Amino acid sequence: MRLFNTKKPVAARAEGRVEAVAKVTGSGKYAAEYEVKNVCYGVLAVSAVAAGSIKSIDLSKAKQVEGVLDIITHEHKPLVPGMADEAKIKETRFGLPIFHTDKIYFRGQPIALVIADTLENATYAASLIDAEYNTEKANVDFESTHPGVKLSSAGKEKGTLDAWSGAAHIVEAEYNVQAEVHNPMEMHATIAHWTADDKLVLYDKNQGVNNVQRVFARLFNIPPQNIEVSSEFVGGGFGSGLRVWPHALASVMAAKQVKRPVKVVLTRPQMFSLTGYRPAAWQKVKLGADNNGKFVGILHQSKNNTSKYETFSEGITRITRMVYNFDNLKTEQATVPLHLSTPTWMRGPGDCTGAFALECAIDELSHKMQVDPLELRMKNLAVTTDPESGKPWSTNFVNECVEKGAAMINWKERKQVPGTLTDGEWKIGYGMGIGMWGAGRGNASAGISMQKDGTITVKTAMTDIGTGTGTAIQNITHSSTGVAKNKIKIELGHSDFPATGSQGGSTGLSSISGAVSAVCDALKQKLATYALVQKEVYKNAALPDILLSETGVSYKTNNNEFVSYADIWKKNNLTTVDVEASSGPGEERQKYAFCSSAVHFCRVKVNIKTGKVKIDRMVSVADGGRIVNEKPAANQISGAVVGGIGMALMEEQLADKNLGNLVGNDLAGYHFAVNADAPVIEVAFINKTDPNINPSGAKGLGEVGIIGSAAAIANAIFNATGKRLRDLPITPDKVLA
Amino acid sequence: MKPFTFSKPENLGKALSIKKDTVQFIAGGTNLLDLMKKNIAGPDAVLDITTALSSKIEQQGKGVRIGAMVRNSAITTDKTILSKYPLVAKAVLAGASPQIRNMASTAGNLLQRTRCPYFYDITTPCNKRKPGSGCSAINGENRMNAIVGYNEQCVAVHPSDLCVALAALDATVATTDKNKKQLSIPFKDFHKLPGDTPQLDNNLPANAIITSVDIAENPFSKNFYYLKLRDRDSYAFALVSVAAALHLQDNHIADARLASGGVAHKPWRWYEAEQYLKGKAPSASTFSAAADIVIKDVKPLSNNGFKKSMLRGAVETALQNCLTA
Ligand SMILES: Cc1cc2nc3c(=O)[nH]c(=O)nc-3n(C[C@H](O)[C@H](O)[C@H](O)COP(=O)(O)OP(=O)(O)OC[C@H]3O[C@@H](n4cnc5c(N)ncnc54)[C@H](O)[C@@H]3O)c2cc1C
Ligand code: SF4
Repeated sequence: MRLFNTKKPVAARAEGRVEAVAKVTGSGKYAAEYEVKNVCYGVLAVSAVAAGSIKSIDLSKAKQVEGVLDIITHEHKPLVPGMADEAKIKETRFGLPIFHTDKIYFRGQPIALVIADTLENATYAASLIDAEYNTEKANVDFESTHPGVKLSSAGKEKGTLDAWSGAAHIVEAEYNVQAEVHNPMEMHATIAHWTADDKLVLYDKNQGVNNVQRVFARLFNIPPQNIEVSSEFVGGGFGSGLRVWPHALASVMAAKQVKRPVKVVLTRPQMFSLTGYRPAAWQKVKLGADNNGKFVGILHQSKNNTSKYETFSEGITRITRMVYNFDNLKTEQATVPLHLSTPTWMRGPGDCTGAFALECAIDELSHKMQVDPLELRMKNLAVTTDPESGKPWSTNFVNECVEKGAAMINWKERKQVPGTLTDGEWKIGYGMGIGMWGAGRGNASAGISMQKDGTITVKTAMTDIGTGTGTAIQNITHSSTGVAKNKIKIELGHSDFPATGSQGGSTGLSSISGAVSAVCDALKQKLATYALVQKEVYKNAALPDILLSETGVSYKTNNNEFVSYADIWKKNNLTTVDVEASSGPGEERQKYAFCSSAVHFCRVKVNIKTGKVKIDRMVSVADGGRIVNEKPAANQISGAVVGGIGMALMEEQLADKNLGNLVGNDLAGYHFAVNADAPVIEVAFINKTDPNINPSGAKGLGEVGIIGSAAAIANAIFNATGKRLRDLPITPDKVLA
Repeated sequence: MKPFTFSKPENLGKALSIKKDTVQFIAGGTNLLDLMKKNIAGPDAVLDITTALSSKIEQQGKGVRIGAMVRNSAITTDKTILSKYPLVAKAVLAGASPQIRNMASTAGNLLQRTRCPYFYDITTPCNKRKPGSGCSAINGENRMNAIVGYNEQCVAVHPSDLCVALAALDATVATTDKNKKQLSIPFKDFHKLPGDTPQLDNNLPANAIITSVDIAENPFSKNFYYLKLRDRDSYAFALVSVAAALHLQDNHIADARLASGGVAHKPWRWYEAEQYLKGKAPSASTFSAAADIVIKDVKPLSNNGFKKSMLRGAVETALQNCLTA
């Protein structure tokens, strides 16, 4: 049944997202939705123990299920050159050597892939696989294990610890964050199709098609250009799509094995253990200030869990080297291997966890000193120079974010003494937290193809994981060429398009905007050259003077000298005009440091009888440079803050210490914030161009919105109740304790 | 999921004639399908009873009869329920999400299985799923589990919100067994404690069907409250919930009902506290004393000690809200 007539063209509204109609009508295809002829289905069977090795796998019952084509295990699989031996496995750095080991590293590790004619048959057969294990004692207990792991230095030490041991005011405390899971709405999925022995086509959910290409090129020892990857629509990533995960390799192996296209879609429980998560973390912060409220020193230590087969360090203490000035600073870190799968980047990776401890510690210090935590922060912000590199910030308006946010939430209403404001059984409190994120930029390319009727298509391999990248590209293209928005088509997420880095780390827009500006210039240049054939004046035309109108090229400052596309196409015998351009960071990176920031303010209500915490207001003000498109930008921030509410109040992936299994690994058992938990997030931007970062002046916004938000909430709870809760998530039981 | 056959008997007689242990009824399917997908339930045949059973809310004597197939969402908009039994609507609204309530049936809600996370993970021991295999929750992550009425066999809780209100209002469950014998089961006897048969959640006779849930006329339509405390504000099961209803006469509590979800293997009535409230003037101190009675015999597990103080606060707050909300 077709609910919508997808044939009928619907004009995208100028200010809407370019992909909105496709998403809302269902015509936009996500990885698993592509129709590939002769496709069959792969379903993973996973380990029921958390540590040890596979003794035997009984496939007899599974093989009897109708429609089963083959079953891949570590004993029966096609050759993957990049995993041929231990050394190769190390070298390709793929992570879990799926089907290339009998070792069990975590519960839920794939031990077999059933390939069948239908999803139903494959699913049923997978449930009939029985394995025996040599079971070893598993350890998934971060809390009791981390004290035994030694810290090592995370960055250069500044000054000494002794220098501030006698500081007038010192606080020292430990903070814990539980593991969190990305849980994007769309399940991770791959359709793999070997169209020739050395040619692979993939429909895959990921945040960077070129990365997927590279990974499989390495694994199968074929040139990257032999691998075609599509990820046109991505139903959320939050970092989970920045790596190529075992199921994707499983589908590629399966397609090789049965010589048919194979589709693998993870189940929701599998999403909890096979596509990464934010690791559990322990932190200790010791912070000192003098009587004038100047920070004199900080010690920030962190540990996060990793797996037994790979090391993942989150970079938790990085934020401490970035936001404030400290004469004495020491940061240390460690990873704690457990029988769990490898964690990965999750929105605001590292900094999000780090800022929770740092921003809470500052709140603790301000309370001890009996000063306003906002003023204490303002005194110590490093707004002119990046403390880490010593380079001047290109732009850093974090102080303006603080001022604007304070006015919006009416910070003056906050009382310095906790527990002062009440409303019946509800205690009311205010809190704040600062987030910062290094504003990066990578190399990126884009192409434009223009038709005779003046419509253009901008293409780039970059994916849009919901961040509004496509819409921003349209805006930038419109403002640099003059082509009307409804004549600009955007095509994304395909490896045949000009290459880019992945959509991650808030570098997406920053990187692609440079390429888009460059390719727009290239298009204007090319058309001016064609126009020159007809009109001499175009010889002197500078690019900013050239506008591409509805029907032709016009020369802005020269009587609008006009040459129609029709003429250009005719005279030069053209079908389309195609240009491509690349751009990337340059020497500005030597001169300046770059950052985005977000400052969060929270007003919270806490019921002292039931432990219920209600977020009453949440204000977030961000400096992301020039805001290219306000709606998706605000959407990025408010979405991130809702993630912060989840982090602060409910998200935790528990693992059973006896059995090693994840507890409640589905959307009923794992709680992230829903609409009912979040007020309307009040978002504002400083919206000042960064003149150095890239031609658009936009700095990234995706990550920074979550950083510092959990601290704002925890600090507000303290202000409301006088209870300092240092372990996330702050569920009602902790409030009552 | 194990393959199964599917049919849709058009009436009760047909449905009962096909029903046996390996055949399962499906109503809204919001619980059964999850159980099948997770290989916890594996019927050979599934009988869709959505048209065989009543989906009407009707007057019955001086009370109301809620047909087994009345969707949860329909309960929340029905005029009779809203005017005479509003506690029931309020409890339903505290449960699940709008989409699930649109599918979920009244009978299915009574028969939904526990949400103990180990019950849902077939790779772990669980006496309810596999009698004799052990209880993973008792020494595991049991934050959501019971604080009263449990034993070492099973510490699961019944997850329903609707049932807490029905327990408070002394509803009855109308059933018909395979031999067409009708049996009305008082709500307090419908669900059971784990005892030696933790695999059984209730006393519905084998292969019987629920035809309706009946509520007698009662004086609790004015002063009532349903308070549900949970980890998030929608789409989450209760840590603790309280259905409270007071019948006030001349500024005295003539009758009181107090029940909880999230505390036991069945919806739990606090009879002693109800008894205490009767005849007293409604006041903060009365409510506080009642809350103390409620918590005096609860015995939390290793991870859910907080439920005691939470329950205390919830009882007080719910009673207080009977007067004001
Ligand atoms: C994510 C999630 C969150 C939820 N949150 C809540 C919540 O907060 N509070 C709450 O109360 N509920 C909650 N629910 C549970 C929901 O209310 C139940 O799943 C629903 O009420 C079951 O009704 P159904 O008609 O879909 O039952 P089905 O799944 O169709 O059936 C459930 C069982 O009842 C049997 N059955 C159904 N009808 C009859 C009958 N007439 N006679 C005999 N047997 C019958 C079936 O055979 C089956 O064994 C939640 C469910 C989900 C999935
Ligand atoms: S509490 Fe009951 S349902 Fe949970 S694991 Fe124990 S026996 Fe199973």
